[in-house]
Amino acid sequence: MSALLSMENLTGGYGEADILQNVSLTVAQEEIVVIVGPNGAGKSTAMKSVFGLLTIRGGKMLFDEDDITGWAPNRIVQRGICYVPQVDNIFREMSIHENLEMGGFLKTGDLSAAYDRVYTLFPDLKERRRTMAGSLSGGQRQMVAMGRALMLDPKLLLLDEPTAGLSPKYMEQIFQICRDVRDTGVAILLVEQHAKQALAFADRGYVLAAGKNRHEGTGADLLADREVAEMFLGG
Amino acid sequence: MDLFELVNFYVVPGIVLGSIYALGAVGITLIFAILRYAHLAHGDLATLGAFIALAAVTGMGVSPYVALPIAVLGTAAVAVGIDKVFYEHLRERPKIVTVMASLGIALMIRAVVQVVWGVDTQTYSRGIVRPEDYFGIRIRDREIYTLLAMVVLVGVLQLFLTRSKWGKAMRAMSDNPNLALLSGIDNKKVVMLTWVIAGGLCAASGFFLGINTELKAMMGWHMLLPMFAAAILGGVGRVEGAVLGGLIVGIAEELSVLVIPSEYKAAMAFAILLFMLLVRPTGLLKGKVL
Repeated sequence: MSALLSMENLTGGYGEADILQNVSLTVAQEEIVVIVGPNGAGKSTAMKSVFGLLTIRGGKMLFDEDDITGWAPNRIVQRGICYVPQVDNIFREMSIHENLEMGGFLKTGDLSAAYDRVYTLFPDLKERRRTMAGSLSGGQRQMVAMGRALMLDPKLLLLDEPTAGLSPKYMEQIFQICRDVRDTGVAILLVEQHAKQALAFADRGYVLAAGKNRHEGTGADLLADREVAEMFLGG
Repeated sequence: MDLFELVNFYVVPGIVLGSIYALGAVGITLIFAILRYAHLAHGDLATLGAFIALAAVTGMGVSPYVALPIAVLGTAAVAVGIDKVFYEHLRERPKIVTVMASLGIALMIRAVVQVVWGVDTQTYSRGIVRPEDYFGIRIRDREIYTLLAMVVLVGVLQLFLTRSKWGKAMRAMSDNPNLALLSGIDNKKVVMLTWVIAGGLCAASGFFLGINTELKAMMGWHMLLPMFAAAILGGVGRVEGAVLGGLIVGIAEELSVLVIPSEYKAAMAFAILLFMLLVRPTGLLKGKVL
């Protein structure tokens, strides 16, 4: 299996301190991979490192046969990785449609196919496309944020805690959308606080602790692992 | 005093002055929203615009209204140049550094104006223009043009911001700069565009102040406080707010003469600014909190 993304022994952090130490992970084509772990384990940091948002001091990052270690975020976007931050991930004072348009900013030519694709995934958004994004509910905002990131037809979507602060009903909906997105040919790497639910839905998972790899495996295997359960799943 | 007197001597001049403030305030609000600092050279940039138009009038013998577009383009180019030479190098530093730098730029522009055009007051055309009588309300042509130009320029700007790709990119940068960068929006182009628009509007503001009163080296500097008051009154980042704020400040300044000595007219803007920051710092149309 050739990996779409492969992070090899990555060490790095913000400024001087190394938050990640020798972290390795891979994401295959059309696969949903989740990173879980206790607070402060470096989950979000690991994801941000893919997007070129931190100083890398060791190891390398390969994406689709390119070495993207140390690339600037705008170059990474163009290469086919889009990132949805956990907070402030929409343009509040712009309509849903304008949010999507900004997502497709780098694309030259017609955006109508990209709009169709996003509106097919999120029919709710199509009905309300003239609504200001800032007036939407949390779950709908998350859809706008994901929609914005999908406008450039990325091969890999990075989601930072997409279900944070959402009700269980919306959480299920977001997970279902992730599956739908994957089925259109996009791999997803996400960070999750809700470890149990996330491992149950993802194809594979990584458990990070204190900035290091701790466990990896399919979601079901990790859920069945006693050590993982004791570590943070609450027994 | 009857109603016509009130309108003719206070409201009409207030609307004209307000339109002039509005043109400047829109630029201030855009710079605030996108670059996130107070641009203190804004008034003197308006002075420069007014004098560039004067140079075109005296040098090329064209009418003032032909000189206006020349001044708009010239001032826009100067604004972009100032950003490239000075402000761009301060982008990563605390914003207060750029604010202070812009004060220095203000002094530089004023000095250049004084060296090139002198310190005496000048006018675009000599002679007294008699106002036309519209059913008892007396308005000069240039006063109509001032309001009209403000409405058209701001209208075109609004269309640009809501309909065009780069206008939306400007709004996106103002709304959420990090996400704009994540979406691949070119920060440098947006900044340049902001200066072109702000510089052009500055020139229009200075030009209309010049054509309705007279040109002098301090004309723009004296507009700085009312323009800031207008931008904050309307809500920072709100173009339509800056227009509303400009008109309110302009009319309030003119009406204030009814109750306080005219020497204190300028204090009106300061009072409005202070009141607004105390009572509703987000402005009438809910802008950004500074």
